[in-house]
Amino acid sequence: MPGKDSIVIRLVLVITLFSAVIFAVTLGYNYYRSRAILQNELESNAHNLAMSLVHRVEAQLTAVAKVTAGVALSLEISRHTERELLDLIRATVENNPEIYGSAVAFEPYAFSASKRLYAPYYYRDKGKIAFSRLENSYLDVPYLYWDWYQIPRELGRLEWSEPYFDEGAGNILMSTCSVPFYEGTGAARQLKGIVTADVSLEALTNYISSVKILRTGYAALLSRNAMILAHPLNEAIMNETFFSIAEARNDPYLRALGKKMVRGESGFVHYTSIVGFTSWMYYTPIPSTGWTLAVVFPEAELLENVRKLSMTMAAMGLGGILLLTLAVISIARAITKPLRLLTAATDEIAAGNFDVPLPAVRSNDEVGVLTHNFQLMEQSLKEYIRNLTETTAAKERIQSELKVATQIQASLLPRIFPPFPEHPEFEIYASMVPAKEVGGDFYDFFFIDENNLCFLIADVSDKGVPAALYMMVAKTLLKTEGQRLGEPDRMLASVNRILASDNDSCMFTTVFCAILDTTTGHVRFANAGHNPPLLVDSQGVRYLALKPGLMLGAMAETVFVTERLTLEREGILFLYTDGVTEAKNGEEALYGEERLLRALQSAPQADLATLVHYIGAEVAQHAGGAPQSDDITMLAIKMKTNNVNRQQAGKGHE
Amino acid sequence: MDLHTRVESHATVVTISGRLDAVTAPEYEKRIREMIDSGAVSFVVDFDQVDYISSAGLRALLLMTKLLNAKGGRVCLANVKGNVRSVFEMCGFCAVFRMENSVAEALAALA
Repeated sequence: MPGKDSIVIRLVLVITLFSAVIFAVTLGYNYYRSRAILQNELESNAHNLAMSLVHRVEAQLTAVAKVTAGVALSLEISRHTERELLDLIRATVENNPEIYGSAVAFEPYAFSASKRLYAPYYYRDKGKIAFSRLENSYLDVPYLYWDWYQIPRELGRLEWSEPYFDEGAGNILMSTCSVPFYEGTGAARQLKGIVTADVSLEALTNYISSVKILRTGYAALLSRNAMILAHPLNEAIMNETFFSIAEARNDPYLRALGKKMVRGESGFVHYTSIVGFTSWMYYTPIPSTGWTLAVVFPEAELLENVRKLSMTMAAMGLGGILLLTLAVISIARAITKPLRLLTAATDEIAAGNFDVPLPAVRSNDEVGVLTHNFQLMEQSLKEYIRNLTETTAAKERIQSELKVATQIQASLLPRIFPPFPEHPEFEIYASMVPAKEVGGDFYDFFFIDENNLCFLIADVSDKGVPAALYMMVAKTLLKTEGQRLGEPDRMLASVNRILASDNDSCMFTTVFCAILDTTTGHVRFANAGHNPPLLVDSQGVRYLALKPGLMLGAMAETVFVTERLTLEREGILFLYTDGVTEAKNGEEALYGEERLLRALQSAPQADLATLVHYIGAEVAQHAGGAPQSDDITMLAIKMKTNNVNRQQAGKGHE
Repeated sequence: MDLHTRVESHATVVTISGRLDAVTAPEYEKRIREMIDSGAVSFVVDFDQVDYISSAGLRALLLMTKLLNAKGGRVCLANVKGNVRSVFEMCGFCAVFRMENSVAEALAALA
């Protein structure tokens, strides 16, 4: 089954990821832009709202200021009796509902030479107009030293006081509009007193507080010193200034904002409000008093709709991506379905089932072409496997035939040792290890009469089946001719004549052939191109110096020569083929005649089987695992000392 | 085995190097057969660079003489020495093949 790298999963991952990113970017941009637009609108809304509030407050304050200035003017134009003065003040309060109270405070001795201080005051108390005398109301500080008296007196113009609690007289929170009035003109102009009109701050702040902005937004009023006059945070009113709050919060931004307000600037800022919300604020001064009016819009509420819209869009987008993913899965599965079928089919093929049906080719796309090619491949494979099976079967048949041939060949060579238990006077042992299944080497020994033993070793050129066939012929011929002719030279000449005629393939065989008179140890031998045997006797180990002779089968009229030697008691004649001397090791070094000579010198000589196996082991050790390239054949014969009993002669042989 | 041939005025000189054994002899045999089939009858085989000859190599040489005898051709071996010479001596090839000590002498012998 496809793992996490499958086409379906990769497609889904890539498409989903990319569409999610695109969507997120779009949504983010949309949110950002909506917010920016909202902010722009908000600024103008806030400006308008603040200005309308300022105008309304300003309208009231201006009206009060005009009335006060009017009273002052009338006091300058004409002299009033005490009664007239009191009526004027009372009418002023009565006729102007926005005026809480009004007073005319005279300079010392300015009203009459008999009275040092004179300041009649009318004010509203529980719906009625009440009267008091300020020179009497203020117990601790005479009215001459109050801000509402001192500041306009010094400045010589209309002045609004900072809000204050009028302890003793009005007994409410108020701000007072004060206007100085004079007597005389030019250099004789002299200050007579101050006309005042009080505005109840409570009425003003109630009005400001009644302004509702969204659900939690508000309007606020600050005095010239940034004292909080109107604010939803009631405990801050008249107790805190913008600066004291900034100090408590250690908020330099708030402090800077406060300074701007005190300077009478206006602006639109994003800040954390005194009540703790992230908000937008528009602030602007009220010109006549120098106070600051601020309108505050909580951001969360402003952006609520934008946020809601964004959430809806996000939900819709998520749904869309889910739908898209489903669509991608569906398409990808449709595309990969034939591939998956093909994969399943190829799994079957890989398991060896070449008859599995492949999915039908329905389209001409890449998958269709692939399927078609797979069909071709399946057929070719089927064909190939069938051929291979046939070839293998044929090869196996040949192999088994070769095995049988090897057995036949081996059975042709004398393998039972000792072969002649009734002849204790000599000992003979031989072995042949073929390089391929069937070899071209052979050996043989047989009595040609009662006392003469013919023994020979031969090497057919080439190896394998042709050599084995040739070897069969040569061996049979050598035996029959040996028994018929009884002399090595005549044997070889005769066999050569037969082999050389009609020998188109030019195969040949080297033969060393000898006849031992077992009674005397005399050996007659002839050589047809074979390696010289070794003689082991009392004089040591040495190679026989042979007369050269052409191998059998090469030339029809070859002449061979019989030579003679006498094998002394315990003397050994060691015959071998070039498989021994030409055995190679990994470095291609030949075993060689020198090594063979030395091996024979050190070999145990008591028993010929042991001797032959010793030499075989030496050769194998030299080869060191390198593949055997030629048959390795050895034959050893030994004349025994007289009177050796037959049991001992047979011991150790197989 | 490497095999090079060059045609002299009256004989083809075949230079062999390396081993002439069961693995390489078929190649040698094939090349010689081709040359004889295309009309060459006189050969000098230069053994100067031959390290080793096996029975298969000997067989290829015998085959060569046999083919040449049928066409009335001749072969002379040159520079047969060392190991190869002892193999030749052992199997009586010295009586069958004409051998000379150099290519020049061999060419002269065939002239």
